[in-house]
Amino acid sequence: MIWQLDLSVLTLIVICAFATIMVKDLLSAAIIFGAYSFLMCLLWTEMGAVDVAFTEASVGAGVSTVLFFAAVYQTSRKVGARKSGRLLSKAFALIAALLTGLVLVIAEADFPGFANPFTPASLHLSPYYITQTLHDTNVPNMVTSVLADYRGFDTMFETAVIFTAGLAVIAILRRFKKEDRHDLPEPYVISEGYPDTIIRFVARQLVPFIQLFALYVVAHGHHSPGGGFQGGVILGASFILLAISFDFKIVLGIMSERWNVLLGNIGVLIYAGIGFLCLLLGANFLDYSMLSKVLPATDKIMARSHGMLGIEIGVAIAVMAIVISIYLNIVSHGKYDKGL
Amino acid sequence: MTLVVILLTLTGLVFFFATTIGILRFPDFYSRMHAAGKGDTLSSLIILLALVLYNFHDINLANLLVAIKILLIVVFIFMASPTATHAIIDAGYEASIKPWMKKPEEES
Repeated sequence: MIWQLDLSVLTLIVICAFATIMVKDLLSAAIIFGAYSFLMCLLWTEMGAVDVAFTEASVGAGVSTVLFFAAVYQTSRKVGARKSGRLLSKAFALIAALLTGLVLVIAEADFPGFANPFTPASLHLSPYYITQTLHDTNVPNMVTSVLADYRGFDTMFETAVIFTAGLAVIAILRRFKKEDRHDLPEPYVISEGYPDTIIRFVARQLVPFIQLFALYVVAHGHHSPGGGFQGGVILGASFILLAISFDFKIVLGIMSERWNVLLGNIGVLIYAGIGFLCLLLGANFLDYSMLSKVLPATDKIMARSHGMLGIEIGVAIAVMAIVISIYLNIVSHGKYDKGL
Repeated sequence: MTLVVILLTLTGLVFFFATTIGILRFPDFYSRMHAAGKGDTLSSLIILLALVLYNFHDINLANLLVAIKILLIVVFIFMASPTATHAIIDAGYEASIKPWMKKPEEES
């Protein structure tokens, strides 16, 4: 750790956070928020948490900025005029925020000091993961093994949270019937002018390599930073790049709505299905070592590695489908006829 | 070897500095994007090349793989960064932002 670098990055992060709240133009706010995510990514890389930094770069700085842009383009760019008055509710909000902050500050005193080597977590838990991961699971990247094996139950519900977010977006925005649509405004479309050859050509050349890289990130998550979430987001982003540079329709041609929702379901189902398969084979839920009974030529240790790969693939499929689905719903006002 | 790495990094930093000055000081949108697109691409390229060379302090297969990955990033930046600049400038042109003229345009 280089404390000068940490300090300057942290200062910039605080400045970006305040600027995001203060700025009136929502598009600028989205850009500054992207810069904030990128700085967080730098900070995490600097602290050695490369997996988290990768997630922040792909989700925070990448896809969520695009989703904010899409939402701003389809709604309004300016912040609505702040209503004056309502002093009572403002005072109440201030008091509530201050009280919450006070409680957090009091609770913070009970935490062990930062990087204190004598906390229970540092005495027992971390040394176990650091020394035994390779022996237990044959996976060099211990972040992946903690995330997908030791704490696999947590990650399953994280995937379920993303799936639920996709379902919520579909439930709120999607309009199936014609009579529900007439009061909606026409979506904003950028590609109505002449088609830009340069952008289209470069996007067409880059998309296969982006998808190849995403597959590499998913499959190589055991050995290097990366995994299902990052790879899935990159896969989804490649489709969003196609939608922006070409047309809304081309993505729907590759990945129709039916397939999209189905893939989201299948991804979560793969994860839970592997868990239930372990249960069926006589082990605990998501205890992959029992998978060696069905997988050919694997012992119990290698089976845990393969089980992790299986659930990472499930996560990647679910995340990709949900990211595409959220984007398509936002840009087309849920009508799926045209969009950004 | 180290001398070359230092030299390349310094060159890249000088180009980055020029890019920053260009973004801050150029008079209008188009010339500012020109500075950002050109300078940013070239300086990233030079600094990444310096990293490739720095990586070869001892030559083995692992270092070679890392070098190839950095070179792939170079290729990606070389394609993506100018295209992104082009896309932004194109959007500005379609939004009919007026370019800067040496003489102020006479109001008609």
